[in-house]
Amino acid sequence: MRAMTATRVYRARRVVTMDATQPEATHVAVRDGRILGAGGPELLGFYHGAVEDGRFADKVMLPGFVEGHSHAAEGMVWHHPYLGYFDRMAPDGGIAPGVTTLADALARLRALEAELPEGEPLLVWGFDPIYHEGPRLHRRDLDAISATRPIVVSHASGHIINVSSVVLERTGFSADSNLDGLLRDENGLTGELMGPPAMQRATRVAGGGGLMQRIDREGLRAFSRQAARVGITTATDLQRKLDAETVDMMRRVTAEADFPMRLVAALGAREYGVADGVARTNELLGTGSDKLHFGIVKLTLDGSIQGFTGRLRWPGYHNGAPNGMWYIAPSELEGIVEAYLRTGAQIHIHTNGDEASETAIDALENVLARCPRPEHRTTLQHCQMADAAQFRRMAGLGMAANLFANHIYYWGEQHAALTAGPVRAPRMNAAATARREGVPVAIHSDAPVTPLGPLFSMWCVVNRLTSRGRVFGAGERLTAMEALHAVTLGPAWTLKLDHAIGSIAPGKFADLVVLEEDPFLVPAERLREIGVHATVLGGEVCHW
Amino acid sequence: MIRLLVIGGFLGAGKTTLVNRLLARADRRIAVLVNDFGSVAVDAALITAADATSMTLANGCVCCSIGDDFGAALESVAERRPELVVVEASGIADPWRIAQLALIEPGFELGPLVVLADAEALPRLLADGAIADILRGQLGFADIVVLTKTDIAGATLTESRALVHAIRPQAQVIETRDGDVALEALDFAVPHARARFLAEASHPFRTWTWRDRRPFDRGALRALLASLPAAVLRIKGFCGLDDDAGDWLLQYAAERWAFTRAEAVAERALVVIGTEAMDKAALEADFAAALRR
Repeated sequence: MRAMTATRVYRARRVVTMDATQPEATHVAVRDGRILGAGGPELLGFYHGAVEDGRFADKVMLPGFVEGHSHAAEGMVWHHPYLGYFDRMAPDGGIAPGVTTLADALARLRALEAELPEGEPLLVWGFDPIYHEGPRLHRRDLDAISATRPIVVSHASGHIINVSSVVLERTGFSADSNLDGLLRDENGLTGELMGPPAMQRATRVAGGGGLMQRIDREGLRAFSRQAARVGITTATDLQRKLDAETVDMMRRVTAEADFPMRLVAALGAREYGVADGVARTNELLGTGSDKLHFGIVKLTLDGSIQGFTGRLRWPGYHNGAPNGMWYIAPSELEGIVEAYLRTGAQIHIHTNGDEASETAIDALENVLARCPRPEHRTTLQHCQMADAAQFRRMAGLGMAANLFANHIYYWGEQHAALTAGPVRAPRMNAAATARREGVPVAIHSDAPVTPLGPLFSMWCVVNRLTSRGRVFGAGERLTAMEALHAVTLGPAWTLKLDHAIGSIAPGKFADLVVLEEDPFLVPAERLREIGVHATVLGGEVCHW
Repeated sequence: MIRLLVIGGFLGAGKTTLVNRLLARADRRIAVLVNDFGSVAVDAALITAADATSMTLANGCVCCSIGDDFGAALESVAERRPELVVVEASGIADPWRIAQLALIEPGFELGPLVVLADAEALPRLLADGAIADILRGQLGFADIVVLTKTDIAGATLTESRALVHAIRPQAQVIETRDGDVALEALDFAVPHARARFLAEASHPFRTWTWRDRRPFDRGALRALLASLPAAVLRIKGFCGLDDDAGDWLLQYAAERWAFTRAEAVAERALVVIGTEAMDKAALEADFAAALRR
C-alpha cells in the first residue's frame, strides 16, 4: 500500500473560494501542496488521518492573490531610500513614511546624507512633486545638503530626476547650455533633467550604478517578501532580459524552500531582436517548475499617459501636448506578434493610450486570420483608455485586459487636468464595461510604479476614488466579488495558469491568503485597510 | 574630437542598406552603432572578431549594439578611437534627440543629421495619422534628407520632394535609387575657397568663421543663439564667456546648444555652417554686438 502523505485541514471563519460549485466554506483540505477540497467540518472525515489546523479559525481565507503585472525591480529599488509622497511598505515590513512637503523631503535627505559613508552618492527614488505645493526642488536645495556629494533624486514617474550641482558639473552641462531635457530658470539650470539621454548621463557620472541594476538574489527575495506581505502568492516579472545568468538565478532562488511565491517571468521582447527573442522563447518554453513559469512574451507598444508618451486617438492630449511615442512601429507589430504567436508563447502587449490599443487589436486580428491560435489569450496590459467598441473587438478575438486600476487613485486628477481631460479621465480603466462586453479582466499595480497591493487595487476598482477623494466613473465601479475575481482568477486566466491557481478548487495548488477581516463585510471604502495575516503556498504557511 | 553622424528615417527608408554600404566601402575606421545588431549584413569573411554586442571588420571598422544606455555605448566606442561614428537610429526613434547627445558627450562633434525617406512611400506614410507625426518629427531637424527608391517612385517623387521641402526647407536633398551614397556626400560639403568658380550649386552649404579672442557677454550670446535664423545649421568652436579666464567649447545645432569647459585651446574661433541663405554680414554684426563690453 502506498504511504499516505499528511492531510491538513485549515479551518477559517469563512472561506471564499471563487469556485462555483462550492463558493463558500469553513475548511480547506490540503495534501502534497494541493487542494483536496473545501467544505465544512465533514472534510476531516473524508481523508484518513486528516489533522485540523485551527490557527486561522477566526480569519477569512481567500485564494492567494495573483499580481498579473509587476516588476521584480520592486525588490531592487529598496537598495536605495524612498522619498515618495505616500507611505510605502518596505520589504522588511516596516513603513517607509511619505514626505508631504518639499521641506519634509529636504529634511529626510539631510538625515540620509549624514548617515552615508564618505564618497558614496546619495540616490533616492519615488519623489512625487505633483503633490507638493510651492516651488520645485532646485539644485540649490540639494547643494545646501552637500556641496561635494553627488545627489540624485528620481521621480515616481521614472521620467525625471533632480541632481545637485556637483552632478551637473560632472555631466558637463554648463548653465549656458540649452538642450532638450535640461530645465532652467532665469539663473541657469535648475538641476531637473527629463528624458533618457540627460538622465542616463547624469546617473552615470554620479556613480553608484543607478537605481535599475540587474536583478540579483537579494532583489528577487525582497520582491517576494513584498508580494507575500500583501497576500500575493503568484507575481509576474513582466519585462525581463531572460539571459542564462538571470534564468539560472531565478531557478535557484525560486527553488529555495522558503521562497514565498510563484514567479512568472515574461521575456521582454524589446531586449532582443525578433529572431533572437523567438529563439530564446523556444528555449525557455516548458522549462519552468511549480514555482517558476515561462512562456509569456511582453511587447511594449507605446509609452505612458502621465509622461505624455502614450499614443492617444483623437482628440489627443487635453493640454495640447504632441502625441506620444511608438516603441514598436505599428507596421512592424503584426510580424512580431505572428513570430511569437507561432512559438506557442502567450503574448502580453503594453498599450496605454487608445491608439496603441487599437493598433494592437488590428494587428492581432490580421495575424489570427492567417495563423489561428485557439486559446491564445493575448492580453493588453494597462489598456487604460479602451472604450466599449474596443472591448467588444477584444472579446471577439479572445483577448484579455489587465487594467491599471491604481492609476485612478494615483494619477486620476492629473489625467483629468492634463492628459485625457475631464471627460475621458473618468472613463479610463473601464473595468465594468470590459466585463459587460465579455473581456476577461485583471487589475494590477505595475510595481514599482505603484506599490504592490491587490486589496488596494480592489479598493480602487470598487470605489474609483482619486487622491483628492473624487469619484471618477461611478458606472465603471465593480462589486467586491468582481474585484476579487480581477486579482485571482482574472489574472490567472491572462497567464494561462487558471488550471493551477486563482481559486480554491480540487487539484489546484494550495495557495491561500488569510485576512484579518472579511472584504465582503467591511464598508467598501475600508477594503484597502484590511490586514493580511498570512499567506499559504503549496499548503505551507509562509514566513516573511 | 570624433565626428558623429546620425542617420535616421522611418522603417523601410533604407538606413540599413546605406550603413552596410558605408561599412563595406570604408576607407576610414568607422564605428557604427545600431539598435538591431542582427540586421547588419556584413560578409562573414570580413569579420575578424565578434561577440554579443560588437564585431570588428578586417578594414578596421567596428559595429556595436547601442543597448540600454546610448551615452554609455558612445563612451565605450570612443575608447576604440574611430575616425567617425555613425549612429543608425531606430525607425521610430527621434534622431534629433540622439544627435543632441553628441553635443554633451565629451570628445564628440556633431556632423549633419541625415534623415532617409522612401520617395515612393512618403506621401502615403505622411497621410497615416498613427505615424505621420513621427515622420514629421524625424524630418523636422534634418540637415540632409536622402530620398531613396527614386527609381520606383514614379510620379510620387515630385510629391515627396515637395513634402520634404514643406517640412524642412533648409535641408539639402540627395536623391538615390538604392541607398548608394558616398560618405563624403553625407557631410557639410562647402565650396573650397579656390574652387569658387566651379559648380557651387553642388555645394549647398556655406561656412563662415568668427575670429575674435574677446569674450562674449553670457546673456547676450545666449540671446543670440536663441534667435539665430533657420539658415544657420551648426556652430562649433571655442570662445570666452564674461570674465571667466578659461575657454568654452560651444556646439550649436537646430536651436539647441551646449557649452562645455575646454582646455589648452590654441585659438578662439567659431565655425558657422549654414545654407546658401545664410547672411554672413548680419551674423558678423550680431556676434560683434554680443561681445562683452
